[in-house]
Amino acid sequence: MVGRAERPATGAERPPPRVRGRRIGWLDVVLLALVAAAAVWVIHRVDTRLTYTWNWSMIPGYVVFFDEATGTWRSNLLLDGLVTTLRMTVAAGIMALVIGALMAVARVSNVPSIRWLARTYVELVRNLPPLIFIFVFYFFISGPVINLLGVADWARELDGPARQVMAVLFGPPERFANFVTGTVCLALFEAAYVTEILRAGIQAVSQGQWEASQALGLSRWRTLRLIVVPQAVRKVVPPLTGQLISLVKDSSIVSLISVQELTFAGQQISVATRKVFEVWLTVAAFYFAICFTLSVVSRRLERHFGAARR
Amino acid sequence: MFHRRTLIAAALAGAMLGGITAAGPAAAQTTTSLTDEVSERGVLRVGVGNFVPWVFRSKTGDIVGFEADVAKQLADDMGVELEFVPTVWDGMVPALLAGNFDLIISGMSITPERMLRANFTVPYASSGNMLAANRDRIPNMTSLDAFDNRNVTIAAVRGSTSASAVQAELPNARLVQFDAEADVLQEVLNGNADAYVASVPKPAVDSAANPEKLYLPVRETFQGTLEAFALRKGDADALNFLNNWILLNTANGFLQERWEYWFTTQEWGDLVPE
Repeated sequence: MVGRAERPATGAERPPPRVRGRRIGWLDVVLLALVAAAAVWVIHRVDTRLTYTWNWSMIPGYVVFFDEATGTWRSNLLLDGLVTTLRMTVAAGIMALVIGALMAVARVSNVPSIRWLARTYVELVRNLPPLIFIFVFYFFISGPVINLLGVADWARELDGPARQVMAVLFGPPERFANFVTGTVCLALFEAAYVTEILRAGIQAVSQGQWEASQALGLSRWRTLRLIVVPQAVRKVVPPLTGQLISLVKDSSIVSLISVQELTFAGQQISVATRKVFEVWLTVAAFYFAICFTLSVVSRRLERHFGAARR
Repeated sequence: MFHRRTLIAAALAGAMLGGITAAGPAAAQTTTSLTDEVSERGVLRVGVGNFVPWVFRSKTGDIVGFEADVAKQLADDMGVELEFVPTVWDGMVPALLAGNFDLIISGMSITPERMLRANFTVPYASSGNMLAANRDRIPNMTSLDAFDNRNVTIAAVRGSTSASAVQAELPNARLVQFDAEADVLQEVLNGNADAYVASVPKPAVDSAANPEKLYLPVRETFQGTLEAFALRKGDADALNFLNNWILLNTANGFLQERWEYWFTTQEWGDLVPE
């Protein structure tokens, strides 16, 4: 949760040349040897100091297991948690983009009160620790509102195709209210950063474009829509993908408001099995695998589109 | 829930201002009790934490344990489906107040502080705290006195009655708190804490599983606790129903029988790995 949105949204025009090294030299050998030695030392220290019997054999069963009663393979807590994390990331990502876009437009509005309101929202969220934001927002705002709206009962009573669609998109209907709470908290948190990325993108379009449009008689809104936004979009794609990838990791904080995602599942299993390290290392590996894959894919796409534009 | 209550409060206030005292009880009767609400919904939602063997996750991801059996029986008797709402321990009472579920049945001990925020039924179980110590750090003790020392570090679950028990019984010791039971045990096994305090039977089970590392200085429990269901305030009908349900199931031996199964036997051992 560090170093986001501070990255300037400009500079997409000409990516720096990729660093291609010389052959491996003595410096590389020494550095790698030092790192390896440090790793071995740490592992040795942990192994001798830690009273712990490792048991990795129980982990696969918490991902999927063979249910003898029904004779089928069933997903267990870890996989269910992972799927919830992914569903929530997608839903919160889309919501954050919509809110972020609205807020970004509000941030550059020529009506002062709209500008101030958007600024207040962004500053409020960005200057609170994520954990505190989630707690305050959950207990005072989203929790009561969602209960008041009767979301839980509504989801429970759904049937037919609507129920199936809901189950695919948002998971089990009886957990829907819980899912929505987590998603809304996360989306509002991330949207503040998205707002700043988009605003930076809009403001990076040179003033001359605005003036030229005005000279051609375009209204402010049409200028934004036809001239500025299309140029800004290109500039914001790289920081925006970075932000969405970090959303996957940030989603782990909603485990603290009991949203049944990957981190929450890890907590539940570690209590039942007392195998704290295996569980958390597995959960860490899951997050890493997702985030790393996403960043490799996004880098490829960026390069692809970057090349196509030139 | 809140919405309706606000309306009633407003109605009551209005009635009092108008001097129509008779409207008071009449308006109060329109409150739907939890029992009606649950029957209408067809689902009883129970908030549960994560404490072996009170309530925890089995190998196949199901919610099992003493409380799970109690909640199932309660839902059966009400003729409704049961839905567990797994919740982090720290947020249990706030989540109840926010209406995320109908009841807490999760080994929650009655404390004055909690009673000020929620209603508790009569107790359906009693428990107590026990201390398990790290053999290498503080060996061969046969009383708790040696642990009431400011050089001793004792671990417990955050916000649990065990944490309060440490403060009450061993006020001089340094208390460190963690979110989950598993972390508390690991901290003592690693030697970062000298001992931990938890509800029975956990310290006894853990020290039997790690005999070379842990021991019980004293077998007697201290700071006894009473566990009860918690529900939102202001619902006398539901409280009456639940109290009598507990009394009935105490008299017919159901609660005792389930308690003995989960707390004194290991017959359920294959629900967890190993």
